[in-house]
Amino acid sequence: MKKVISLCFILALGILLLAVVASMPRMGDPQSPTNTHIIDRYLERAEEETGAENVITGVILNYRGYDTEGEVTVIFTGLAAVLAILGREKRGRVHAYPDRSPVRSSLVVRSAVRFLFPFILLFSLYTVLHGDISPGGGFQGGAVLAAGAFVLAAALGLWSAGRPVPPWLRYALEGAAPIAFFTVGVIGILGGAEFLTYMLPRVAAGLQPSLRTWMTLFIELGIGTGGAMIFLSILMALSREEGEPL
Amino acid sequence: MSAALSLILMSLLVVTALAATFSRDLLAAVIIFSGYSLVMALLWQRLQAPDLALTEAAVGAGVTTVLFVAAIFKTQRMEEEAAGDEDEGEDGGGEAR
Repeated sequence: MKKVISLCFILALGILLLAVVASMPRMGDPQSPTNTHIIDRYLERAEEETGAENVITGVILNYRGYDTEGEVTVIFTGLAAVLAILGREKRGRVHAYPDRSPVRSSLVVRSAVRFLFPFILLFSLYTVLHGDISPGGGFQGGAVLAAGAFVLAAALGLWSAGRPVPPWLRYALEGAAPIAFFTVGVIGILGGAEFLTYMLPRVAAGLQPSLRTWMTLFIELGIGTGGAMIFLSILMALSREEGEPL
Repeated sequence: MSAALSLILMSLLVVTALAATFSRDLLAAVIIFSGYSLVMALLWQRLQAPDLALTEAAVGAGVTTVLFVAAIFKTQRMEEEAAGDEDEGEDGGGEAR
């Protein structure tokens, strides 16, 4: 019975999604809005219209600010749902496989990881902070940071990877991404205009340039740390002990 | 030259995708899948999408690989012979490796 219900649900969802796809412009259609004027406008005038040196940042934070808000919400709701299903690790009882393996990871691997980790950290920071100008940005930097922490966890054990960030701080920072984006959006309302207003260049031009930079950095840092922390939490939850003795 | 490189990368993509799907050893499948992500990241870069290349390399090759490996340690490394349908309820075979 359960199977029939889930099958019906999946079928309905699939038909709904296919119906939406059918209403989209055909791929490569020369008459679709994307091909007639949007791409040219973005590529030719993004810099003067948005004030962003990196066109991708301009598109994501200006032309498609609402889309990005929705995207951040969807991604982090999904990650939170995964975390809600997995549950939390018990305090002080985190053991990755390398921690209880009778064979330690080899000296070569451990030394290489210890040597490489600071550089991975530096690169992730660069990706986050320089995202305004060069390829990269908050989510990419956060993912690089999480991947670095994962490498540390795989080679040295979860305890080493989790130690630099105490659990209370990690739990608190998991929500940083949507909160940062939403806060910056609401600042526009508090300033007497619309949501995400400050991202519009005519408003931003009236601001101190440093203030605009700081707000962009706030979003990027929020998304980066939020993403990295939630990935780390998922790994912690996934490899916790279920209370059985070692 | 560059067309040949793209062709090589794309055929590598297909080969790694098939290899990851048909491998019975799930640990091997996960490693092959991270190779798939690496090739995909190179292709994104060749399509002049460096943002996507960065994301693909960090998330696809880094984060998900470790999450999959963690999941394999909690379950089983080898795929079962006849795809068993209702195996939940029991412990799911506690012995990793």
